[in-house]
Amino acid sequence: MKPFLALVKRDLTLGLRRKSQIYQPLVFQLLVVTMFPLALGSGAKTLALIAPAVIWILALLASLLTLDQIFKNDYDDGSVESYVLTSYPLPMSVMAKVLAHWLLSGLPLVLFSPIIGVLLHLPASSYGILMLSLLIGTPMFSFMGSIGSALTMSLKHGGLLLTILVMPLLTPVLIFGASAVVESSLGNSASQPLLLLSGLLILSITLIPFAAAAAIKINLE
Amino acid sequence: MPIITAQDISCQRGNFLLFKPVSFSLDFGQSLLISGPNGIGKTTVLESIAGLRGLQQGRLSFKDQDLSKFKDDWFENSLYIGHKTGNKKELSCLENLRSFLQIQGIEVSETQAEDALESVGLAGYEYQMAGSLSAGQKKRLALARLLLVKFSVWILDEPFVNLDVSGCDWLLGILDNHIKNKGILIITAHDNKTIKEKVTSELILESVGL
Amino acid sequence: MTKSYRRNDGKLNMHKQRTNALLRFYHKLGSPPSFYRISGYFLKWLLLIAIGLTIWGMYDGLVLAPADYQQGDSFRIIYVHVPAAWMSMFIYGIMGVCGAIAIIWRMKMAEAVMLASAPIGAWFTFIALVTGSLWGKPMWGTWWEWDARMTSELILLFLYIGIMATYSAFSEDSRKAARMAALIAVVGVFNVVIIHYSVQWWSSIHQGSTVSLMGKQHITWDMLRPLLVMAFATKFYYGYSMLKRARIYLLETESHKRWVQDIITEKKS
Repeated sequence: MKPFLALVKRDLTLGLRRKSQIYQPLVFQLLVVTMFPLALGSGAKTLALIAPAVIWILALLASLLTLDQIFKNDYDDGSVESYVLTSYPLPMSVMAKVLAHWLLSGLPLVLFSPIIGVLLHLPASSYGILMLSLLIGTPMFSFMGSIGSALTMSLKHGGLLLTILVMPLLTPVLIFGASAVVESSLGNSASQPLLLLSGLLILSITLIPFAAAAAIKINLE
Repeated sequence: MPIITAQDISCQRGNFLLFKPVSFSLDFGQSLLISGPNGIGKTTVLESIAGLRGLQQGRLSFKDQDLSKFKDDWFENSLYIGHKTGNKKELSCLENLRSFLQIQGIEVSETQAEDALESVGLAGYEYQMAGSLSAGQKKRLALARLLLVKFSVWILDEPFVNLDVSGCDWLLGILDNHIKNKGILIITAHDNKTIKEKVTSELILESVGL
Repeated sequence: MTKSYRRNDGKLNMHKQRTNALLRFYHKLGSPPSFYRISGYFLKWLLLIAIGLTIWGMYDGLVLAPADYQQGDSFRIIYVHVPAAWMSMFIYGIMGVCGAIAIIWRMKMAEAVMLASAPIGAWFTFIALVTGSLWGKPMWGTWWEWDARMTSELILLFLYIGIMATYSAFSEDSRKAARMAALIAVVGVFNVVIIHYSVQWWSSIHQGSTVSLMGKQHITWDMLRPLLVMAFATKFYYGYSMLKRARIYLLETESHKRWVQDIITEKKS
């Protein structure tokens, strides 16, 4: 088995056994969504208006809950050595870690988003675009998170620092992702923001693994 | 020409040099014990030799290649086991052993892994989660990797810690065997007197002083 | 050459003697003791020029320049706001370049310059935000408007805070902390461009109607001159403040080295 696949497989096994990484962000989303009508009033029109923004912000916040775990566990138990002390390129291993993290926490958010949409009265025409935009956007949360996690893995409480580091860098993703849903809910074409979002994803795939690999090496010094 | 040479190497913590620069060279079948007081940087120097971190100064080479530039060959010939065992508590012993090596690109069959577990005294624990093992057993699980790789260089940081008497004897036997088979060993072991007599050379780190 | 040089930390080496004068100067600046010595000559002059230019620019801008036919006197805040906003981006750019040098060649001076720049850049960003908000009150009737420039500036402030927070989180090992912060600066520089354009795109679809603080108006020379003077004044101030901070950083991180001890004993005697 190739190291890449071995790493993905190991992380998926771990994630499925721990489970908390998968369901807790979803519970968090549900909880926060419940707060909105309670604080804002249950008017369907108001909720529908803020739905695209709320869903995207919630996806971002829910991802942030698990981002620090990308490398932290491996650093704490020493298994980070298994992919640093090898001739297999570290950026590829970063890619494997990001893929596994996205499958465990990003993909559930994408699949879960229609439920949040229903709770917030999102117009029926927007569900396709909502899921598509999250499908393109959430991997970037994991990618950017890999840099943040690599930088903070040796800290005891690095979660807040990671948030401060990663959130500003993710503003473009939020802008394009949320506006794609807004446009579609207004009945307009969402292709422009979606294309821009895809462009960002391609940039992330090509550049971020190298940055995260550099961060891991610096952090181990 | 020795296989591993270190010229005036030293490491730093913060902005301070940890120990006076040291040099050594190792050929096949030779072993090196690194010793010195607590906090002198034994672990740091082992991590640097293993390739986890960079050296502050000096030059380290393997088969005449500068390790700060070409590491692939070194990684394919050296195995490092440090303080952290690298075991995942939610994986079984068998899964731990195999996945760790697979991530390094080393394929190990299930029977091979089972044999290795048996020889480190973990027979019957194959499907037990590593989280439920005792500290000594976790160490044994990590050391089982030694039996499954054909690497010529072993770099071990305090491998005797947490091992019981029979575990120490077993490890000494394994190390002996490795050196007899023309392997190279770089080790720290502050708590073991026997290893001192078995190694071919000892390196004592001294503080720089201000 | 840089690589072999950094290990020698100030000592001459074989490579260096073969290089030309320009590279030699570069190498000299790269070594902490020479940097400390050379920068010492400039400090006073940088500060004097910065103060002189500021007095000129302020007098020119606040007294001599004519009032704006639309905004009256309130436009004069641009003589603080715009130079500060320019500096906030200029300094971030410098940090990105120094960060890259620090990571690739492990040059200590690049680390020092990058870290010394961070608080100055953050303060300029903060000043740009506050003055922008003060200016927004008469212009928009509100202290804060989510216009593209102000939003980008705010995100830039977060990026500055992130760099400084990273450095302080690893304070027990300043060398590592510096390289971590450098990495964030490099990633940030790539991102600043993307953030800038995405925020512009966002503001174009959301609120095309708001008046931009700096519209495409014709600006007379009398109004432009103080702006340029202030732009130079802030650059010189940055030069002064950055060198001063970089020198302190060097003294702190090299406190165990001979050249620092020499300076201390010199000062005492």
